[in-house]
Amino acid sequence: MPELSLEKVSFSYDSNFSLQDINMSIPEKGFLSLIGPNGSGKTTLLKIMSGLIKPKIGTVRLGNAHINELGARELAKQIAVISSNQYFEFPFPVETIISMGRFPHLNRLQQLDQNDLEIVEKALHITQTTHLRNRPISQLSSGERQRVLIARTIAQQTPFLMLDEPNTHLDIKHQISIFRLLEELNKNHNMSIVIVLHDLTAAATFSQTVALLDRGKLLTIGLPQEVITTENIKTVYGANVEIYPGLSGKFSQINYFQTDS
Amino acid sequence: MKIGWKLLFLLLATLLLSLAALFVGPVSDPSWTIIWKIRFPRIILAIIVGFGLAGSGAVLQGVLRNPLADPFILGTSGAATAGVILASILGFQHYSVLYFLALGSALFSILIVYKIAYINGRAPIQTIVLAGVIVGLFCNAMVFIFFSIFYQESFSILYYLLGTLTEGDMTRIAISGTIVAAGLTTTWFMSRELNILTQGEDNAFHLGVEVETAKRLLFIMASTMVAGAVAVAGMIGFVGLVVPHMMRIIVGPDHRVLIPASALGGAIFLLIADALARTLLPPLEIPVGALTALVGTPYFVYLLRKKRHTGEF
Repeated sequence: MPELSLEKVSFSYDSNFSLQDINMSIPEKGFLSLIGPNGSGKTTLLKIMSGLIKPKIGTVRLGNAHINELGARELAKQIAVISSNQYFEFPFPVETIISMGRFPHLNRLQQLDQNDLEIVEKALHITQTTHLRNRPISQLSSGERQRVLIARTIAQQTPFLMLDEPNTHLDIKHQISIFRLLEELNKNHNMSIVIVLHDLTAAATFSQTVALLDRGKLLTIGLPQEVITTENIKTVYGANVEIYPGLSGKFSQINYFQTDS
Repeated sequence: MKIGWKLLFLLLATLLLSLAALFVGPVSDPSWTIIWKIRFPRIILAIIVGFGLAGSGAVLQGVLRNPLADPFILGTSGAATAGVILASILGFQHYSVLYFLALGSALFSILIVYKIAYINGRAPIQTIVLAGVIVGLFCNAMVFIFFSIFYQESFSILYYLLGTLTEGDMTRIAISGTIVAAGLTTTWFMSRELNILTQGEDNAFHLGVEVETAKRLLFIMASTMVAGAVAVAGMIGFVGLVVPHMMRIIVGPDHRVLIPASALGGAIFLLIADALARTLLPPLEIPVGALTALVGTPYFVYLLRKKRHTGEF
């Protein structure tokens, strides 16, 4: 697996800086959450890490290469992304959507071969979407669509998977199924996961590493219990929270609504 | 193969209609000369123009992720028309100038619509249509200016503007046929990219599509097809709107099938429309563009309402 790292990355939209001097490397086979208040630069950081936008200053390296110098096809073999903007108007069957994940691995006139079809089949199986294979994506529920998108990234067979708030607009049952799926991909399929999250409890529960952003700066990065602390949250979000360690020791619960402020 | 049968059926329907159309017209007992010299070129023309307009409609709807994209509504046909008329009033008789101006202005107009409507890679569906209408109005204004300067040719220009399949210049028909075929073939080879582009440009990039290159090529090819159709038939509207949408219902959204199906559907649509145009009010002939607009405008309203309710194409 090539190493993905950011060196002195800064980025600005128009005049105000949205990211400033970010240095970090993406933990190999890790589960990294990017957290921070609205406008802190989480999504921008994810777009830079995934090569979609180019930093104004600094570089993103993937192995020996500069990420922005790789072609889209090369990049798509390394990093799969589920952005927060998805479009489902075209009624493609689920299976066709998942097959799109094979695109970077195919030449122009090459058809899907037996191997590709097996990979698609496996992706359907892992995400438990096999029964939906012929259904048009436009007719699925948000939870099902999110699973199909994850299946597409599985078919893409990349070492890195990046997601921008995949749990928004989902009820708790579907949120749980998405996070369990990501956990499985991380543990059993050796994918490095980077995820933008608003939900601090989810970040604390599922990540191995948490990066906390504050107004475009990387305030701190480390283990969840080191980063998600009452002091840090107070500083960055300006909110009082209580943090309870969970039963398993790993799980923590963050309470924000029932505290005095 | 179910899809294969559907395509075969469309192909057969096109051939049968073409054959039948040889015997439809204001003269009920036509001589072979009429059939061969007048009706046959018209049928070829209907096929070429139907292929070009419906093919470009399918491509534009995919790239712009907009079910209301149609070369007529987006102002592309208007721009190509302005190019054609400009070439003829400037006195350039050579085909290369005519096609160059038609293609150039069609492409330019698509890019303008795109620039007006898109902010940060996204545009609400209505905004693209609005931008298209504005560009179309501008092109119409240009056409009317040319028109008023060269009024002595007004009548033939007027008929051309309304959209007809009466062009008799075999060289023009051959050139248009060639470039429409080239446009269709190229875009068909890009079907997979086109499918992925419907998922949004950022998502397409992350799936490995060189978005800017693909988009540029698709816009050029769509303009080529529009210019090819407009150069021989003027502004025939709504073929590119109605046909790809109907075909998406019949064969599904996959462009590998949708592009050929739309081309055949466009030919069928125009063959029928032209047969009606020739026979509804004998001995008069209704401009076929007026007929397609009669069918197309209610369909446009239907799509506009449907899109708002279900979100599906």
